[in-house]
Amino acid sequence: MTLVASHLFKQFGPTRAASDVSITLRTGTVHAIVGENGAGKSTTLRMLGGAMRPDSGEMTLDGATYAPQSIGDATARGVALVHQEITINRSLTIAENIFIGNLRGYARAFGIIKRKRMAEVAQAALDRIGVKISVTTNIDRLNLGELKCIEIARAISSDPKTLLLDESTAYLDHREVDAVLKVMRELKSQGMTIGFVSHHLSEVLAAADDLTILKDGQFVGSFRAAEIEANEIHRLMVGRDLSLGTYPPRPPQADLSAPAVMRVDRVAVGRELNDFSVDIRRGEILGLAGLKGAGAEALFAGIVGDEPLRHGSIEMAGQPYHPGNPRHAWKNGIAHLPGDRGNEGLIAGFTVLDNLVMARPPTRGPFFDKTRARSMSNDLIKLIGIRTASADAPCRSLSGGNMQKVVLGKCLAVGPELLLLNNPTRGVDVGARVEIYRLIRRKAAEGLAIILSSEDMPELIGMSDRLIVLRQGVVAREFPVAADVEEHDVVKYMT
Amino acid sequence: MNEAGNVTAAGDPVIKGPRRNIPRVDQLRRGFPLIFLVLLIAVFTIMSPRFLSLDNLSTVLEQGTVLLVAALGMTFIIMAGSIDISVGAIVAVSALVAALTADSLGVWAIIPAVAAGALCGLINGLLLAVGKVPSFIATMGTMVVYRGLVLYFTRGAPVSIDDDGFLWTYSDYSWGIPHSVMIGLALAVLAWCIINYTVFGREVRAIGGGERVSILTGIAVTRVKIFMFVLLGALAGMAGLLQGARTMAATSQLGLGLELDVIAAVVVGGTPLTGGLGSIVNTMLGVLIITLLSSGMNMAGVDPYLQNIIKGIVLICAVFVTIDRKKIGIIK
Repeated sequence: MTLVASHLFKQFGPTRAASDVSITLRTGTVHAIVGENGAGKSTTLRMLGGAMRPDSGEMTLDGATYAPQSIGDATARGVALVHQEITINRSLTIAENIFIGNLRGYARAFGIIKRKRMAEVAQAALDRIGVKISVTTNIDRLNLGELKCIEIARAISSDPKTLLLDESTAYLDHREVDAVLKVMRELKSQGMTIGFVSHHLSEVLAAADDLTILKDGQFVGSFRAAEIEANEIHRLMVGRDLSLGTYPPRPPQADLSAPAVMRVDRVAVGRELNDFSVDIRRGEILGLAGLKGAGAEALFAGIVGDEPLRHGSIEMAGQPYHPGNPRHAWKNGIAHLPGDRGNEGLIAGFTVLDNLVMARPPTRGPFFDKTRARSMSNDLIKLIGIRTASADAPCRSLSGGNMQKVVLGKCLAVGPELLLLNNPTRGVDVGARVEIYRLIRRKAAEGLAIILSSEDMPELIGMSDRLIVLRQGVVAREFPVAADVEEHDVVKYMT
Repeated sequence: MNEAGNVTAAGDPVIKGPRRNIPRVDQLRRGFPLIFLVLLIAVFTIMSPRFLSLDNLSTVLEQGTVLLVAALGMTFIIMAGSIDISVGAIVAVSALVAALTADSLGVWAIIPAVAAGALCGLINGLLLAVGKVPSFIATMGTMVVYRGLVLYFTRGAPVSIDDDGFLWTYSDYSWGIPHSVMIGLALAVLAWCIINYTVFGREVRAIGGGERVSILTGIAVTRVKIFMFVLLGALAGMAGLLQGARTMAATSQLGLGLELDVIAAVVVGGTPLTGGLGSIVNTMLGVLIITLLSSGMNMAGVDPYLQNIIKGIVLICAVFVTIDRKKIGIIK
């Protein structure tokens, strides 16, 4: 089935989310839509999938007019959309999740569900996409990649001819991305037309036949994947060549004599981290690599006191430090940038100022000192380069990258001695990334100790001075000098 | 709402929501409680010319004061995303304590009355913040307990308040203005200052806006939650004292069902139950709406058996228009 869209426009208030986008999904091929955050990728995919109606423009399916009013319409025409978010309900079984939109199709009299029949069809759908998951598996035991596969199985259960995957891999780690890519290849070999949106360029090049580049809502162009270089794609996405200087230069040599800001001694947290020891020196960026659940998040939770230490001890500047709760950690000069910006990093409905001074609001006697808060925020906005109309703009009006800069600003506002960064550039566009990297490097040069945990391997290698690979809660490998480490060397120790 | 809408509302951090200016509808919505109040006054003035008389307004304000004082405290609780339905029972406890101590302490019966309210609030706060019992359930339990305590000690009989000093201070008039109204307004100013100018006020709002963010950012969430319940308890204690002074007695029925009016006033004023937003000015508007609605219907001679039905419908309509569904996302 060939899906052709021509000259699609979509506007939200003053923002042009998609402008003059034309795209052709050829039968039996994989078509990637790439661009920075806010480029209009998701908007485009949603218009194709019926989740959003274009303001103007036309779409055809095998030459026939295609103007879906809803996702249901699109499904009926053989176009299925997999949302970016994981929409699995963990209190239902795998089969129920797959057929959540069509439970009535498996009901007998009085709405009693034909469980056995449903399980069989669900298993068939899972087998068809080539994943080795049994429908009887406890859903709590599945990882994110497997959950994504369940969603794909749900989408193909309506037997579509075209499958649209929305930013399908933004939250997945390497192994999980591979699983999803495998499913895509399998479906393609069965003649499925696939449109997908992704953050990761290497993955696009590995899987796509065609690709369409968007930038700031504008259509840049469509290409055959084989005929375009990665650098060229990058350049078209951001409008400048980023191959040189994504990561700021490191100081020539790590200062091994610098005093330890924190000494972690045989710390265990929850079930995820066991007997982990490390010294973090002043001015050093320590990278932590590992799959989800390998221990980095547990270490952060333990240091800030979000989870209790099972055993082990921590020293700060030679004095024993007992993590109690996050409040205690901030007071001791530990700032923490959580991995989930929306739920843990900032309050989107609050203003930039509110968020920036949240960790340590300036006071005058018992009162909040608004004057000082304003000058503090304005300084931070300038220092970090937060692009906002004013300090009083609500954070939800900012782009993902600028929101993350606000969280970073909140951390730096307290003048910390140790900064914990959990995936600081997740969902951040390339331009803002570079700015965040420069800022982190500059803060390290000023003496701040930083622990960086990231699923983005080039970022981890490009930013760290020293790199530790965690696997199942223990150190699998330490690279004292991260500068000359290759990505596959690191990944090798992760799994 | 279609599926696309739901996905957007879920607010995934990676996808960037569309930016928008504040549309005119939203500005209108913000001003709605005020518009509604003006409309209400206009309708009742037409139906009963006496409605706008100074005499009547003074009575209305006096009636509304108890509601106002309790609603001030409730604003904090709702802003933080919690709820307290024991507030009516706390009012009864404090009125009883005031009645029992007014003979010996006179004006200073305010101290044990407010302290009793604060203690009730402390228990609520501890149950929520330390015991991790959801505030709706915790206060549903304490509501029954507090009301039960009053019944137990009074055996259902009213306890009268006779001390002249007490009655004069809390229910008489000076320059034609009821003392209770002056106290209520002073407390409103105080609450307004707390919300707008103190760190505590900001922290309450932050907890309602994002509790997990607040915890991870180092806000003393447990302490703030306990304190806001103590604050509501103390204000409910004050409300009980004023109510007792007005009726010159404490009864086991005093403040029965008040929690519904209090919550309605805060919400009709435009403070959503989901937390993170709210203001004292809005709460005051809500209190006026609720109070005027009741007294206005009485004056206009609306069938008393019809009044509750109208009141309920008006409340639902008001909230229906006031709530900004886009900002709240999922309504439950």
